[in-house]
Amino acid sequence: MAGITAATADNLGASAYKRRPSWVAWLVFAPLAAWLILFVIVPTLTLVALSFGEQRGLGTVEFTFTLENYQRAFNWTWLKVFWTSIWYALLTTGICMVIGYPVAYYIGRSPENMRNMLLTLVMIPFWTSFLIRTYAWITILSKEGLINSFLVAARIVPEPITILYTPFAAVLGLVYNYLPFMILPIYTSVERLDNAMIEAAYDLGARPVRAFSQIIIPLTSPGIVAGALLVFVPSIAMFAITNLMGGGDPPTIGEVIYKQFTSGRAQPFGAALGTLLLLIFIITLWIGRRRSEE
Amino acid sequence: MKNNARHLMLSALAMLSLAGCGKPPEPSASTPTPASSPGSSPAAAAAAPAEEKKLNIFCWSEYIPQDVIDAFTKETGIQVSVENYASNEEMLAKLLAGGGSYDLIQPSEYAIEGLIAENLLIPIDHALIPNIKNIAPEFLNMSFDPGNKYTVPYMAGTVGIVVNTDLVKDEITSFNDVFQDKYKKNIVVLDDAREIVTWAMLSQGIPVNEVSDANLEKVKPTVAKWVQLVKVYDSDSPKTALLNGDVALGVVWGGEGALLLNADKKFKWVMPKEGTHLFIDSLAIPKIAKHPTNAQQFMNFILRPDISVKMSDAFPYLNPNAAARPLLTKEQQENPASFPSAEEIAKMQTFKDIGGQATKVDELVTSLKAQ
Repeated sequence: MAGITAATADNLGASAYKRRPSWVAWLVFAPLAAWLILFVIVPTLTLVALSFGEQRGLGTVEFTFTLENYQRAFNWTWLKVFWTSIWYALLTTGICMVIGYPVAYYIGRSPENMRNMLLTLVMIPFWTSFLIRTYAWITILSKEGLINSFLVAARIVPEPITILYTPFAAVLGLVYNYLPFMILPIYTSVERLDNAMIEAAYDLGARPVRAFSQIIIPLTSPGIVAGALLVFVPSIAMFAITNLMGGGDPPTIGEVIYKQFTSGRAQPFGAALGTLLLLIFIITLWIGRRRSEE
Repeated sequence: MKNNARHLMLSALAMLSLAGCGKPPEPSASTPTPASSPGSSPAAAAAAPAEEKKLNIFCWSEYIPQDVIDAFTKETGIQVSVENYASNEEMLAKLLAGGGSYDLIQPSEYAIEGLIAENLLIPIDHALIPNIKNIAPEFLNMSFDPGNKYTVPYMAGTVGIVVNTDLVKDEITSFNDVFQDKYKKNIVVLDDAREIVTWAMLSQGIPVNEVSDANLEKVKPTVAKWVQLVKVYDSDSPKTALLNGDVALGVVWGGEGALLLNADKKFKWVMPKEGTHLFIDSLAIPKIAKHPTNAQQFMNFILRPDISVKMSDAFPYLNPNAAARPLLTKEQQENPASFPSAEEIAKMQTFKDIGGQATKVDELVTSLKAQ
């Protein structure tokens, strides 16, 4: 560690803040930087560059710097597809919040020796691939599946009801898969919650509802915002779950982008849709950040 | 800050160059001559005749049974590595990007047409593949590869209708019978825009390869009506929705239909009377192949009747191998989803490459689905 400061001694004159890290620091930082460049920056730039190209023949792309792909994207068809995905993601985020908050609060307020066990229970489904868990849902929800067999056997319904291959099933699949992403950050906030604040609220005459809405929610809001982002952003682009459980109808943006790169034979157009999706993510993150700064 | 950026770039460059050094230079062998081995590893040079005992196959997922590959390795000592793709376009994109080193690919008819046109395949040597004589003549000398200069047929198949006769009592004979209002939200179809448009074209008597703007406009109302009736779009496993009773009718791959027929007698296979689409997946050797002789050895191997039977056992598509057919069980031979009759086959059409029209087909179907 001494090496880091020693090598920058010549800069110390101005201000301690302006210290330049030495080559050792860069060496430590290099793997992360390389990782970011290779797996984040380069692919993103490739995607953006691709969106200004034109596809030729069997699948080669020529960079013509055309805006045509973006012009094509601002069409009712694709905007509706975007909206379907955003709507699914909003629903998923809302439902995850309503279910996840009480769960996270309960875990965060339970005795310390219980917490780890409860958290492990939340995480256990993640030990299995999400595709396998999604297929399990198919056998639960299908017309000859667990739920329908029970409902019919118990004479609650005369014949099997349709659950699978509906927007309801698609959102159910999303909620199921992303719920832990809501629970964990809220749990972190709840765990750090200062009991004295809540007690003070009660001492000053606040009823439980008021204490919750004016003290507990604001204090745990960083967790809520983080959870909302962690659920909303991946839900928009997810198409494996919505296709398998929703039956692929209506189409979602992730699926449509995937098809542009395959059977649609329009990689540059797919890249343009991908870039627009990226913009939605950036805007979401920006809103989320402003919210947590407030 | 400038300094920081420079450091960042330098370390990134260092990483890139390191990554670049990771790969040893490979010999640029594209012909099966012994002269190509000195450049490669000593082990390969020691291993007698021309090529090292390796074969890299790039094929469809769920298509070449593992026991076929194991049997090949056991007989020849050639180590096979397999990489999968899920669509012709995915395979073409990877091949054109020049990333992989593949010795054998498995394109469908329209992809072969494009690959030959772009001069991306190595001609095969029929002296090395005598078993091609086992293939029924109707699957040889196809328009996409006259004289089989570049390809040997692997498996063929078709698209047809599966009816759950417990739930559908009416006689179903055509695409138009399937897409009726009374079956609304009771239908599974392939999640494939060109297939859906093809069925609509067939129902109006338009040849499947005449995908002009005018014809797309003509079938648009039909497709619009149909997509409102469909409940599930699934190309990977359309049989699931039928097996679970979530839908009563399906327009699915022949192989999937054959599995359903085997699973339960309530399922019935119908060849649409308008005709349907016949696909032929073949094996071909890309120009970038490093082991073309091994690849041709594999081609000859899978054309053997006893091996071809294993392929039919695992994936009951239309096996083009005439010598293998008598070796199949009676049940397999009589499965109408696997083996359509000669007159049904005569009515089928194969896909030609439609190039940029594929984009319009995709947009047509997506826009109607999104409504």
